[in-house]
Amino acid sequence: MMRPRSGGLRGWLPELAVLCTLIVAPIVFPHLGFSTDLLTRVLNWGLIGLGFDILFGLTGLLSFGQAAFFGVGGFVSAYLLVSHTVDSVWLALAIGTVAAGLFGLLVGWFAVRRIGIYFTMITLAFGQMAYFIENSPLSEYTGGENGIPGVPVPVLGFGANAIRISAGMPMYILFAAIFFLGYVLARRIVGSPVGAILLAIKENTGRVAMLGHNVPAYKLTAFVIAALYAGLAGGLLGSFQSYMPPDAFSLETSGQLVVQTIVGGAGTLIGPLVGAAVWLWLRDNLQLIPGFAILWKLVLGIAFIILVIGLRRGICGEIAHWWNERRNLAAARAAEAKTETIEAHNTDPITKPVAPPKDVRLTLAEPTTGDSDIALEARSLARHYGGLKAVDGVSFKVRRGSIHAVIGPNGAGKSTLFKMLLDEVSPSSGEVLLFGEKVTGVGVSRAAQLGIAKSNQLNQLFPNLSVRKNLRIAALARRRGPMRFDLLRGAGSIPDVEEQIVSILGLLNLVERADTPAHILAYGEKRRLEIGMALATSPNVLLLDEPLAGMSPAERLATCAFIRDIGRSRTVVIVEHDLDAIFELAERITVLYEGRLLADGTADEIRRNPAVQDAYLGGLHAHEPA
Amino acid sequence: MPSWPVLISQAFNGLALGTLLALVSSGLTIILGTLGVLNFAHGALFAVGAYAAFVLLQYTSSFVLAIVVGCGFMLVLGFLLERIIIRYFYDRPHEDQILVTYGVGIVLVECVRAAFGGNAQRVPVPSWGQGATQMGFLIYPTYRLQLIAIIAGLLLSLYLVLYRTSMGLVVRAGIENPGMVGILGINVRRAFLLVFAIGVVAVGLAGMLYAPVVAVTPDMGANFMAQSFVVIVLGGLGSFPGAVIGGLIAGEIISLTSAFNSSYSEVMLYALMAVLLIMRPQGLFGSEGRA
Amino acid sequence: MSLLEVDKINTLYGDSHVLFDLSIRVEQGEVVALLGRNGAGKTTTLRSIMGVLSPRSGHIRLDGKSIEGLPPSAIAGMGVQLVPEERAIFGGLTVEENLRIAALTAPNAWSYDRIYDVFPRLKERRKSAGRTLSGGEQQMLAIARALIRDARIILLDEPFEGLAPLIVRDLVEVSRNLAAEGRTMIVVEQNVAAALSFANRVYGLNNGHVVFEGTPADLNASPDLMRDFLGVGM
Repeated sequence: MMRPRSGGLRGWLPELAVLCTLIVAPIVFPHLGFSTDLLTRVLNWGLIGLGFDILFGLTGLLSFGQAAFFGVGGFVSAYLLVSHTVDSVWLALAIGTVAAGLFGLLVGWFAVRRIGIYFTMITLAFGQMAYFIENSPLSEYTGGENGIPGVPVPVLGFGANAIRISAGMPMYILFAAIFFLGYVLARRIVGSPVGAILLAIKENTGRVAMLGHNVPAYKLTAFVIAALYAGLAGGLLGSFQSYMPPDAFSLETSGQLVVQTIVGGAGTLIGPLVGAAVWLWLRDNLQLIPGFAILWKLVLGIAFIILVIGLRRGICGEIAHWWNERRNLAAARAAEAKTETIEAHNTDPITKPVAPPKDVRLTLAEPTTGDSDIALEARSLARHYGGLKAVDGVSFKVRRGSIHAVIGPNGAGKSTLFKMLLDEVSPSSGEVLLFGEKVTGVGVSRAAQLGIAKSNQLNQLFPNLSVRKNLRIAALARRRGPMRFDLLRGAGSIPDVEEQIVSILGLLNLVERADTPAHILAYGEKRRLEIGMALATSPNVLLLDEPLAGMSPAERLATCAFIRDIGRSRTVVIVEHDLDAIFELAERITVLYEGRLLADGTADEIRRNPAVQDAYLGGLHAHEPA
Repeated sequence: MPSWPVLISQAFNGLALGTLLALVSSGLTIILGTLGVLNFAHGALFAVGAYAAFVLLQYTSSFVLAIVVGCGFMLVLGFLLERIIIRYFYDRPHEDQILVTYGVGIVLVECVRAAFGGNAQRVPVPSWGQGATQMGFLIYPTYRLQLIAIIAGLLLSLYLVLYRTSMGLVVRAGIENPGMVGILGINVRRAFLLVFAIGVVAVGLAGMLYAPVVAVTPDMGANFMAQSFVVIVLGGLGSFPGAVIGGLIAGEIISLTSAFNSSYSEVMLYALMAVLLIMRPQGLFGSEGRA
Repeated sequence: MSLLEVDKINTLYGDSHVLFDLSIRVEQGEVVALLGRNGAGKTTTLRSIMGVLSPRSGHIRLDGKSIEGLPPSAIAGMGVQLVPEERAIFGGLTVEENLRIAALTAPNAWSYDRIYDVFPRLKERRKSAGRTLSGGEQQMLAIARALIRDARIILLDEPFEGLAPLIVRDLVEVSRNLAAEGRTMIVVEQNVAAALSFANRVYGLNNGHVVFEGTPADLNASPDLMRDFLGVGM
């Protein structure tokens, strides 16, 4: 739905369309029952909506507390002006906006750590708190239930030439100009690396963190952006109606914003504006019809339920969807057809290797610290779940530049051990060192930044993003660091990231599939993309958790060749059940049995080790019941 | 420092509000725990309950009869909502569940507004609850005292239903693992229907009982819903004991704070929630269940 | 007519195709073991039979009647009972409550005493919350929940996983007794020896296909098969 601009005039089409609509609106829309005044209000709601859509439509965080920031921005601006602390309306607006942003930072700090239902409840509760603070303790400043009357309008220019922006058309023009700037900015944010990461957070939060992005910081960024937009809109509202009403803070306001966004279409940026137009139009016009005066909101509520049940994309979303479908139908069909062909061959034992062996030499990322020959070291790692000792004091070393395998019968603790290597699971005791630097306790994102990446046993992709964008989220991680505010540059404008993506697409044999959404890929392709994403972070140490799981024999061969290729340029640690593959690939093997280290040695040593044979055959002899 | 009689009378107010919040929140929390749905129509259902009492008391002078019929009405309403809308949302994202129940809330409130207008209505205190009761140095409205007892009784019966009946067994198991309940041969969807209806009855009942002490308006439920969100965050999502204890704590905080400075009473509640979120994010009785 | 017949089912788990035209059958009174490496599709087969996963195509027949697509509660009502790998004990309920909820919809439910005869350990712990049980006790309770329903077919998914050898020995003993009494079971197990000690027939699964069908003796006679398909042996 939200597409970053693809360069040239075409990329600016949405901006142009919005600009034209804003210019034409005061001429055309009055005939449809929109007064200039109403249009100005719609723009005000649309402005809050721009920020809210970045939070909800893009990042997927449903806040029911946006009124708090709308109110803070509005009341701070209004108070500064009415008390003559500040005389410039512009300055007051700026201060109000910043105040809303700061309040957003505070509330967001609490809220973004929690997900789903919790997030929504916390934002709602803080919204209510702001309402009560305005209403009672601060009523001396805010007028409590009376609000702040007499907020002045902005003035353009100085002295005798100054133009007072009065109600009516001048005010509309001011709001339209601000909305347009806000829209252009929001589009830039959506198209930036930050926007790409926010969208990925909505798709699969866990994977974004595992790739090395600081997820709470990005969520907080989205939260503050939404608060800033709301704060600016709040300040403008006071000036517009020369009165700052206390109900700006009410739960009703937050709810109205949510409804408008859904009706107009979340994830489209202009959706909230369109939704506001529908809402306010219904309110003003249904009230004119006898008998309908009190029913307008009922009509709206029913329409809202129907939209949520059936047309979840909203008005703009449905239009954009229909437009994209029409344009991309052929491509989508072709991609699905290709998937079917591949899947049909999947079961066919005589398929040729899918990925032709290639000698790809990605530059070996330099270790951040230390120069020792040991890339990764586990020191008496243990993890207990209640009484169960999943991993019980395991130590081993992985030599730099080698392929190292961890094997063991089911329940040996391999997966848990693996998760501890990149701090996905924190050990009960023991530690992991990456080139001498402690990984344990730093969290999975930081571990990724230090240079350790994992491909998962179960695919953790961004299903609705294209293969290229999946890889981009990964490639951006270590290139940009855990957090960066590059809100204005294009997501695809970092040359070495794009080069990295191209080379990995080639390595994965997914060049033709670069623009196919990940969920359409065939199973084997998804597995390769899963590995490719870990690889795209340019890790020093790559962990592969059962990379061959669910693959056909032919795919296994191809993937083994592929892993061997990777192993030429970086350290690989692999967990796999397919022992034939392991003995073929691994230089050194660590064997786990019932949570403990059973053996550690070269492939040949392990093959000949009687204890290992016993453990694997143990199922046949050791537990023979009496 | 307020005087002791003021403090004690506020403590009673806190108990009255606390038990009420406990009842409202336990309806919310069992629906959330079992069905995984955060019911944003809960506030509206509170108002619907209050209006049900208002209407029924025009046809009968018996408060008890009105309440009984009102419960039947809420039960039917709960069944209808679950069958027509909610059940199609069990497999949808939490955001969609929140949105659709919020929409249901709007429709319910607007229906009430269309039928009775936006002005406040008065519901009479039942004849057996008139006047005030002398308790030592404290004179306290009789109906409020009775309210505390009645709601305490209701919470106790809800406890017995949850912990002493097969139905409650299914609900408690369903909160932990609805999939396994189905594997054990129990029609989970039917249990869900019942749970939703019970939750609706609980909040409707709260609305009916509270109607005589407040102004009845279509929007009266919104603030109760916000407070009951705080209560279940305090008590732990999906925990019945958490909802009861959390409700009592919330009620006392609001009332006792207002003995000192009434303008901070509500603010204090949310501040407490913020503190708790830092100290114990899973809530007082929360575990790592569904969230 | 077989008691249970799985006829060419294809099942997807998330985005991966796990079972490919998989067919097995189970006769009345028989214990069938499903063996295979991790990811071979054993658990998915059990979950498909129970109705937890719906096969995209193919049929599952119980007494000749198609049951695919029915919800788990309906399939449980017909006497099929899954004992899942993760055991899924209700941690907040006591042992007895766990049994009670299992018996709730069973027409011929066993008495608690009959259960406690099979698992005396559970009697000692009948008032304890499920979450306080040891792994072995949890597994006993999980099996007991299937027994109390007097299930016609019990689907055991990795019943011995992660348990101490002594407990495994006890559970194998119980399983053998059940088999001897003629209870129909399908067992998925990594501990091949334990599974083979009470199974009548074996299916070997690999990548969602049946690659072997025979008796435990057939399997024991061919170590190659074990190695190739089951990932045991070196």
